[in-house]
Amino acid sequence: MRRRSESGRIQQLVFVGPSTIFFILIVAVPFFLGLYYAFTDWNGISRQVDGVGLRNFAHVFTKDPAFLNSFWFTAKFTVLGVLLTNVVGFALAYFLTKRLYTRNVMRTVFFMPHVIGGLLLGFIWQFIFVRGFASIGGATGWSFFKLPWLGTEATSFWAIVIVFVWQNAGYLMVIYISAINNVPKNLIEAAKVDGAGRGQVLRNVIVPLVMPAVTVCLFLAISWSFKLFDLNLSLTKGGPFKSTESVALNIYNEAFNISRFGMGSAKAIIFFIIVALISILQVRATKSREVEL
Amino acid sequence: MKLGRQLLLLIVMALLVAGCGKSGPEMDGKRKVLHIFQFKVEIAEAMEGLKAEFEKEHPDIKLDIQTVGGGSDYGASLRSKFASGEEPDIFNIGGFTEMEMWQEYLEDLSDEPWVKDVKEIAKEPMTKDGRLYGQPMNLEGYGFIYNKDLFEKAGIKEKPVTLSGLREAAEKLKAAGITPFSNGYQEWFVLGNHNVNAAFANQKDPAEFIQGLTDGKYKFADDPIFKQWMELLDLTLEYGNPNPLTTDYNTQVTMFASGETAMLQQGNWTQVQLDGINPDLNLGILPMPVDDTAEDNDKLFVGVPNNWVIYKDSPVKEEAKEFLNWLVTSETGKKYITKEFQFIPALDSIPGTEEDLGALGMEVLNYTDAGKALTWNWFRFPNGMAPEIASSIQAYIGGKIGKQEMLKQFQMNWDNLSVE
Repeated sequence: MRRRSESGRIQQLVFVGPSTIFFILIVAVPFFLGLYYAFTDWNGISRQVDGVGLRNFAHVFTKDPAFLNSFWFTAKFTVLGVLLTNVVGFALAYFLTKRLYTRNVMRTVFFMPHVIGGLLLGFIWQFIFVRGFASIGGATGWSFFKLPWLGTEATSFWAIVIVFVWQNAGYLMVIYISAINNVPKNLIEAAKVDGAGRGQVLRNVIVPLVMPAVTVCLFLAISWSFKLFDLNLSLTKGGPFKSTESVALNIYNEAFNISRFGMGSAKAIIFFIIVALISILQVRATKSREVEL
Repeated sequence: MKLGRQLLLLIVMALLVAGCGKSGPEMDGKRKVLHIFQFKVEIAEAMEGLKAEFEKEHPDIKLDIQTVGGGSDYGASLRSKFASGEEPDIFNIGGFTEMEMWQEYLEDLSDEPWVKDVKEIAKEPMTKDGRLYGQPMNLEGYGFIYNKDLFEKAGIKEKPVTLSGLREAAEKLKAAGITPFSNGYQEWFVLGNHNVNAAFANQKDPAEFIQGLTDGKYKFADDPIFKQWMELLDLTLEYGNPNPLTTDYNTQVTMFASGETAMLQQGNWTQVQLDGINPDLNLGILPMPVDDTAEDNDKLFVGVPNNWVIYKDSPVKEEAKEFLNWLVTSETGKKYITKEFQFIPALDSIPGTEEDLGALGMEVLNYTDAGKALTWNWFRFPNGMAPEIASSIQAYIGGKIGKQEMLKQFQMNWDNLSVE
């Protein structure tokens, strides 16, 4: 018994040790440093760091409406982003689990955008929206392409949603595909024998059985859209009139462009608490709907 | 688990050790290495030539020059250099607010031999408590660049230097079928730095006014000069190109250079682009007037975009001082400043000629030497204020908010950002 637990420990050390070290260095240490700086007036440069108590937090809530606006934008974006990526991802998965001739190619194609970095995607799509759409609009005369893309608040908002869905739906599709493939065929056949139509099979058999995947996918999509940053930075930079500034971008600007590192850290802490709360609630809510076979 | 802890400790130690260090000058053979970190991409190539000349005259010093372009990228890289303990010996920063931020790292340069020659207007941004902390790189100036031939064609005899004079001129240009103004209001710096500066620079004491805004002594909404400045803004909109909010710097300059428009709110830095499109333009710079008193308004906005500074704890501080001194006193250095970098010199000891500086640069230098220069005040703004001002003005131009609301937004952002 003793020997066994010894080798168990060594195994743990070998397999978990390195990642623990990196977790501590890359996640835990910066987190606690950030917590410390949130209560100081550090500007990111100076050697002098003075504690200011809760002043930064009070300031964020009383004097900085842009931060609250960025929360509102992020909330709107999250609702649409989460809904659309999941609907599109599930729809793609549903059709690509049918016996389609090109399904392997299609799966690759839809997954590919996720492999490209968000920063690069943003620049590519900026070109598509500003130049590409304009020339398509010129050639076809369709009013959709003639809109001032990225020039108004509404088009900028939808532009980010469109690119976000395009980037992430493919990833969720892969998760949904494996979940749909795991639904036992005999259940579907039994349902069909009982006279269920396609819609009924989807609604009453497939959807309840892929609920664990829905939990995972909702969780991923919520955390992605809440932490929206690189796409935002490269596609709109928060413009026009700061109407599309996500919370993450607002925090970045606060710390690095406005040079109030302490204030930025305070915002990041507030952001962390809110995201943590939402994630806990969401996981609880969907867990209770999962069906175990 | 004991082993795990030891391993962890070891790694943390290794990282700490790697992070510190660097005592005494870095050597390359027998030469001391001087690290220069600068952000002006335009002069990166000429800096290589300068490096060769300097090393020839100073066989015991090796220059290591790094250029990182673009405003915020440079700031972030400089910070990470300092955070990782690789402080450059010489680097660039802007004056006022930025100097305050970096001040504890800056070497006092007040006793250097070149200080007596620096033009007064160029000293102020890097001066604190009577001590000078940087060498101004150059001077730049702006106003409304105008096309003299088009003005003549429209029958404008006198150079307009008042607000109503400018309105008359715009009216005549319009009547002659020429769009008076090229407005590149998509660019935040055109509005948030240059345009709004007219309202700050025309205050009796801009520094005191800005301090007063922070202390709550002054409000944007009560200020008479801001009201006048809005009239100037309206004038450019009324007589400007369509869609100013989607017009960027390049489009703005191209419209002007092709003779479509007669005036352009930019500065002497635009000379290069203008020459590239149409070298035959007959150019001058008009002031940006905010009222009708000619003597107060016939002035250009002149300032120092950037300064050379020395890191206080650098092991090669004396060599760094020698380099800056050599740059502005030796014949080679002076030649590079005017001919290679094509800078308007910030020191009286370096003469500028029209051949080197172009018509616009010469106009700025003449206005400066005649004492008809107003200051650049966005360097005094709280960090992050200029882009905020620009988005409020853009919202006004786009018809989303009115004048009062625009001033209210200025005030709100100022109150937010002036807290350190």
